[in-house]
Amino acid sequence: MSGLTARHTGPGPAAGAEDGTAARVVDAAKVYGTGDAAVRALDGVTVGFPAGRFTAIMGPSGSGKSTLMHCAAGLDSLSSGSAWIGGTELGTLGDRQLTLLRRERIGFVFQAFNLVPTLTVAENVTLPLDLAGRRPDAEWIDALIDVVGLRDRLRHRPSELSGGQQQRVAVARALAGRPEVVFADEPTGNLDSRSGGEVLALLGRAVHDMGRTVVMVTHDPVAAAHADEVVFLADGRLVDMMTAPTAGRVLDRMKAFDTKAFDGRPAGGGGTSS
Amino acid sequence: MNSPTRAGGTPAGSRSASTGAGRASLRIGLAGLRAHKRRFAGTFVAVFLGVAFLAGTMVMGDTLRASFGKLFADANSGTDTVVRGADEVTASGPGPGPGQGTREPVPTGLVDAIRKVPGVAAVAPVIEGAGELVKADGKSLDTRGPTVAGNWIDEPGLNPYKLVEGHAPKAPGEIVVNRDAARRGGLEIGDRTLLRTPDPVHVTVVGVATFGNEDGEGQTTYAGMTRADAERYLMPKPGEATTIKVRAGPGISQQQLTERVAKVLPAHYEAITGTQASDETQESTSGAFLDIFTTLLTVFAGIALLVATFSIHNTFAIVVAQRTRENALLRALGATRRQVLGSTMAEAAAVAVLATAAGLLGGIGIAAGLQALFPAVGFPFPKGALQIHVLALAVPLAVGLLVCLGSAASPAVRAGRTAPVAALRESATDTSGGSRRRAAIGLCTAVAGVAMTVGGAAAGPNLPLTALGAVLTLAAFVVLGPVASSVAVRVLGAPVGRLRGVTGSLARRNALRSPKRTAATATALMIGVAVVSVFTVLGASMKATLNQTVDRSFAGDVAISAQVYGAGGAGLSPQLATTVAELPEVQDSVGLGVGVAEVDGAGRRLTVTDPAALSRLLDLGKVQGSLAHLGTTQIAVAKDEADKRGLAAGSRVPLTFADGTRVDFTVGAVYDQAGLAGNYLISRAAWEPHRVQDKDTLVAIDFRDGVSTAQGKAAVTEAVTAFGSPDVQTKSEYATSSAAGIDTFLTLIYALLALAVLIALLGIANTLTLAVHERTRELGLLRAVGQTRGQLRAMVRWESVVVAAFGTAGGLGLGTFLGWALVKATDGSGTGAFAVPPLPLAVVLLVGVAAGMLAGWRPARRAARLDILRAIATE
Repeated sequence: MSGLTARHTGPGPAAGAEDGTAARVVDAAKVYGTGDAAVRALDGVTVGFPAGRFTAIMGPSGSGKSTLMHCAAGLDSLSSGSAWIGGTELGTLGDRQLTLLRRERIGFVFQAFNLVPTLTVAENVTLPLDLAGRRPDAEWIDALIDVVGLRDRLRHRPSELSGGQQQRVAVARALAGRPEVVFADEPTGNLDSRSGGEVLALLGRAVHDMGRTVVMVTHDPVAAAHADEVVFLADGRLVDMMTAPTAGRVLDRMKAFDTKAFDGRPAGGGGTSS
Repeated sequence: MNSPTRAGGTPAGSRSASTGAGRASLRIGLAGLRAHKRRFAGTFVAVFLGVAFLAGTMVMGDTLRASFGKLFADANSGTDTVVRGADEVTASGPGPGPGQGTREPVPTGLVDAIRKVPGVAAVAPVIEGAGELVKADGKSLDTRGPTVAGNWIDEPGLNPYKLVEGHAPKAPGEIVVNRDAARRGGLEIGDRTLLRTPDPVHVTVVGVATFGNEDGEGQTTYAGMTRADAERYLMPKPGEATTIKVRAGPGISQQQLTERVAKVLPAHYEAITGTQASDETQESTSGAFLDIFTTLLTVFAGIALLVATFSIHNTFAIVVAQRTRENALLRALGATRRQVLGSTMAEAAAVAVLATAAGLLGGIGIAAGLQALFPAVGFPFPKGALQIHVLALAVPLAVGLLVCLGSAASPAVRAGRTAPVAALRESATDTSGGSRRRAAIGLCTAVAGVAMTVGGAAAGPNLPLTALGAVLTLAAFVVLGPVASSVAVRVLGAPVGRLRGVTGSLARRNALRSPKRTAATATALMIGVAVVSVFTVLGASMKATLNQTVDRSFAGDVAISAQVYGAGGAGLSPQLATTVAELPEVQDSVGLGVGVAEVDGAGRRLTVTDPAALSRLLDLGKVQGSLAHLGTTQIAVAKDEADKRGLAAGSRVPLTFADGTRVDFTVGAVYDQAGLAGNYLISRAAWEPHRVQDKDTLVAIDFRDGVSTAQGKAAVTEAVTAFGSPDVQTKSEYATSSAAGIDTFLTLIYALLALAVLIALLGIANTLTLAVHERTRELGLLRAVGQTRGQLRAMVRWESVVVAAFGTAGGLGLGTFLGWALVKATDGSGTGAFAVPPLPLAVVLLVGVAAGMLAGWRPARRAARLDILRAIATE
């Protein structure tokens, strides 16, 4: 792995904003619907995701954590406030520029349907590079394949892989272009604990061995415990942060939300559940 | 959802339960339809277009038939009896000349005898022949119909033409023309022009007439002259007429009058009622044409509907596949197989009823539109109310419903078979391609079909065998589609992948995803393209055959040919060849005229010519015997025909002419190459006693040594101005002009096939729309990881192109093969040429691919507008 660490060049943490964040949102608000039916999925969130760190976004269902990720990653637009990737403000970009930004500077791992079924494992890994017409760095890709442990599956189709293997391919794809930040949306949501653990370990190594930045949305305290820090969302607001989390501490913090919910604060943000 | 659950749980047999269940199926079906209107838009349009085309054809056919019927009945209403020659000689087989039978003229002396028959109110001899009007600018009037000249009849009621301007012809050289001809020829009262009968006659227009109340009898041009002129120019000798028309006095029926008149007629003459005569005229001038026209349109409506069947079947198959989970849920909740099947059929029925009803209305609209359009584009079809017969509505209705419900039947059965556990499984598209069984059945059918087609074409020729083989081959193509589609898409899509990078490669693989679906989509286009290719090959082969005939047969320098349209054109004056022969530049000049006679009982065309001169200007191949001295006792026969009829040089052969005379001829010569000369040659002297109105269809001219083609052509052109300035053509120009009709015909066919191809393209577009819907998540993923909208659009469009290319290539292959088979199977003598025109076929391929691009346009746009987040979140 030292090879990987040593080789990390190109847009990395150094290319981030002056405050050392790879991605951040400022006063982010997202409103769905209008008038009485208006739902504030994000309500004035300001948060930065530090470069070279593994951050988890946690919160109960409907807390706005997926919306936050989508807006920070340029998949969705904010109603007000601003979202930045490095020094670029996403609100100023058109669809085409956003698309190019996503494929060149961001990596994605979704909960499911991560892979294009008609492409082989190898082709899925290099898909963003192929779409950009960039020549993949053969050594880097080669090393990635070994890290995710899929060398013997390169010519397989996604339907021939297990769920865990599919997610590992997705992680490899997210890292293939050495993006400034990788967003992972419930990457272990569909996996058993062993496969999930492998995927989380991979994400951790991407940060600690390869110097990448990872932002992960999850509702699982065990998954969140793999992160360097955790930000907690509730009702579209940033309510807490935690450094060096453990599953137990995260779980305790989450329990507090449940109690609150029972106190009569309904979970808002319909349509934003992950 | 409650109702089907309950009803499904009720034991079958209870009447109320089964009607409740039926209602539930209907309700679910209709709800499905409402929820997925867009998916059925393609089906709707396909059925609508096919039914509208069919209904339009039938309504228009009925309307035109009724209008023509009324036109002829009105125009001939004053004629109660027609007297004519009883013997008719009709030539069959290929070659130029009159399609109708030829009859002996009637002596005008009979008029007096008929006038004495009790009950006769009026009698008039009718002389009818060919007379081509020359326009004000000196060229012959173009027409798609016959060119008729005759005597102007003054007897009231016996003349179908009504004078509307000027006066009837009184002096020699005065004529009345019908209004349509006057307008198109730029002729006005007082104008002097030529009437070619076919000898040029100087005439003055003194009157304008209408046929009944129309400007003309269809496309026919008419010139009415004095009886003396008509006898002189149109009949072989004075004192003869084509027919005699008789009008009855009050209280005498047509039947009675006809019987009475018949009694005073000598042998070889007959009397028929005016109604029968009118019907016969209508049949020969418009009825036969209308039958061919409507049959042709119906056939193409059929092709369009066949193509639609594939599109519709495909739509339902995809929709059912996409709804597997939904149907499985219904089954799990207790819906019976029949209820699930019923809900799909209810959906199909609703689409069928709506689309067919709209199609019927559309068809009536098309007929009304065409009725208005025809006069505008130069087809003066008679006016008349739109005739909407029950049959013209019932047949398209039945066909539309059958096509729609029939296409949906097998997908509906499949829907009914959905296992309840499928609700719990990941819904997946059918990725199976050709099973071994399918491949085996397809291959066997293909081998049998091709063998029969080739057998019928090469060794025979045997048209029915070839036709059966062709149907089998088509069936094999359809069956083998899914087997072939994987390979074909891989091969055809390879350049796309190479040129368009990952976008092209994704497009190609998407086309490979469901071989059955790709094949079904492409098959619709394949059928359309195959028919286009068959006609393209057929047309090119006919042209090649004509070229070859002219090339081998024509040994002169230039040719003058008569208009080739139908029975139209008066032909060329027999004096033309003689006039040209006198030019100092001309070595030889020979005219070819047309005659008919029964040879040993079978009607045959004779080429009336100077056989000795002909042999110098046309290459007749090897000649046994001598053509130099046929005289009035010998004829010459082409070798193929002679072999067929067991004739040889020196054989005796009896000829029966239209005038009823029978003459024994001797075969003076047998020549190898029929070509332009035709199968029988007879000298002008031998034909003279039996002629009616002589005309030549071709004059072949040979220049003296040292005269350039340009010089000679100029001299001949100058010399023939007196004959209405027919075109003087070089050998290649002559070949090209002979083939002009083929191009016109091909253009019509292409226009008719455009509908089938359009429906096929709608099918591609529809399949793509459904596929885009199915791949929503995947498209969202691609967009998320960096596929631009442009790349996504290109991906969908290229998939469409690959599918279209598959269908087009298959259609070209199949069409070329069947075209070859058809050419060979219809070429009895084995002298026809087969040609594969590379350029038109390349154009077909390009158009097919471009059309694929067009078909993918809308689905691509819709796919690109997809909201990424919603795509990712779609369950």
